[in-house]
Amino acid sequence: MAAGALMGVLAPYGGCGWSCASPSGPQGVGGGEKMAAGWLCRRLCQGSAFPVSYASRILQNQCFFQNSNLVGVRLAGSQANTEGPKTNPLVSISDEPETLYKRVSLLVKGHDKAVLDSYEYFAVLAAKELGISVEKVHNPPKTVERFTLLKSVHIYKKHRVQYEMRTHYLCLELKYLTSSTAAVYLEYVQRNLPEGVAMEVKKTKIEKIPEHIREPIWDTLPQVEETEVKS
Amino acid sequence: HIPPRTERMAVDQDWSSVYPTAATFKPGSVPLPVRMGYPVKRGVPPAKEGNLELMKIPNFLHLTPPAIKKHCAALKDFCTEWPSALDSDEKCEQHFPIEIETIDYISSGTSIRNPKARVVTLRVKLSNLNLDDHAKKKLIKLVGERYCKDTDMLTITTDRCPLRRQNYDYGIHLLTVLYHESWKTETWESEKAEEDMEEYIWENSRSQKNALDTLIRIKASENVSNVTKEELLASEVVKDYRNSVVALKNEGETENNMSRYKESVKKLLNIQ
Repeated sequence: MAAGALMGVLAPYGGCGWSCASPSGPQGVGGGEKMAAGWLCRRLCQGSAFPVSYASRILQNQCFFQNSNLVGVRLAGSQANTEGPKTNPLVSISDEPETLYKRVSLLVKGHDKAVLDSYEYFAVLAAKELGISVEKVHNPPKTVERFTLLKSVHIYKKHRVQYEMRTHYLCLELKYLTSSTAAVYLEYVQRNLPEGVAMEVKKTKIEKIPEHIREPIWDTLPQVEETEVKS
Repeated sequence: HIPPRTERMAVDQDWSSVYPTAATFKPGSVPLPVRMGYPVKRGVPPAKEGNLELMKIPNFLHLTPPAIKKHCAALKDFCTEWPSALDSDEKCEQHFPIEIETIDYISSGTSIRNPKARVVTLRVKLSNLNLDDHAKKKLIKLVGERYCKDTDMLTITTDRCPLRRQNYDYGIHLLTVLYHESWKTETWESEKAEEDMEEYIWENSRSQKNALDTLIRIKASENVSNVTKEELLASEVVKDYRNSVVALKNEGETENNMSRYKESVKKLLNIQ
């Protein structure tokens, strides 16, 4: 009956990882929960992260209250509480080694300095929250492109009008990012780029020397004639 | 008519539910008395109702600090930590010598593509590659302008292929070819003349010949038994002279170098 109440609670939050927790006995429930937890990789998955994580957190609290009354029934929520920090079911960890970025440099260009200042506050706060070290934030000097046109459609050469386009710059340099962190931060920051603002991202990736450059192959080759050259 | 929503808003409401995503400025939803625009003569900037200036400018009402913190808390799970062993540039250089630079361009327009995005720059320090003396000199000659002597850095910039991955592969291919070619010794390399040498080598140079000739003639005039060339070469004064000449030619004329040369010449010719 508590499990039934749990299912009632589960029904509105259809899209979260508890959907496999059916009251098919303690073993089944345990298995379902382990399956969701065991499916762990670390890649950014598409899909709305926010409502699901909120829903699963609310679910936690409610499960806890109902669990305290009943000892015998094993609910999915209780197992998660005893396991430790809750693992996000959207996160998936893969085996391939991460590429490392020694420096990621963001150059943001816009026509309005106030917009760039607000964006700077947002980007710096986001980097701090995600644990990325910001090396330098500076404003390269603005460039102004001016041109002079004739004011009138026909004749009146002495009367001109001048236009100018001002481009303000903002440069953010971040240090020591892994590819997952860089992907997360850049996607977040680029989705919230205001309209009319452009960005250039310069990534400096560091790599080991590839296998074929470790040793010169001329030593390992069998004795061939000079004319046959292999690279 | 219906009063705007601002009058029913609590002071401690959750602002991220009022503006969850980027939206235009709605005067009925923002409870701030904002004024923007050029003031009329002897007046104030216009109010927020029906204000085009406020609607035109991009606003950051959806990115208040609590909203950013909530977003980052949800995104934190997807981030991975930087390996703590690589906390300085030198350690990164030691374990991962090759640096690859790529640039991405984002702008609003009819197309998201930018032809400049396919450029790839490869940077490597020659001291990290497995090169011997001859191979290093040959590589520097092959590469020409792309090598910077002060930082010992080889920079290869490729953009001849249409895709970034292809340019990266081409850059690595170039590096491989340069490396292996510089280890090979061609038959015509033995014809390397003194003008082609990158640094001054004292052995078999005019300076060595002149010094040895002078010393032999001095010894002959003093009627000492004929000392051989090897003995002269191995003697302290000649070695000292050699070091000072090499330093002068390679490093240029500094106070130190000139005084060393003076001392060594004085010792060589035995004058005080």
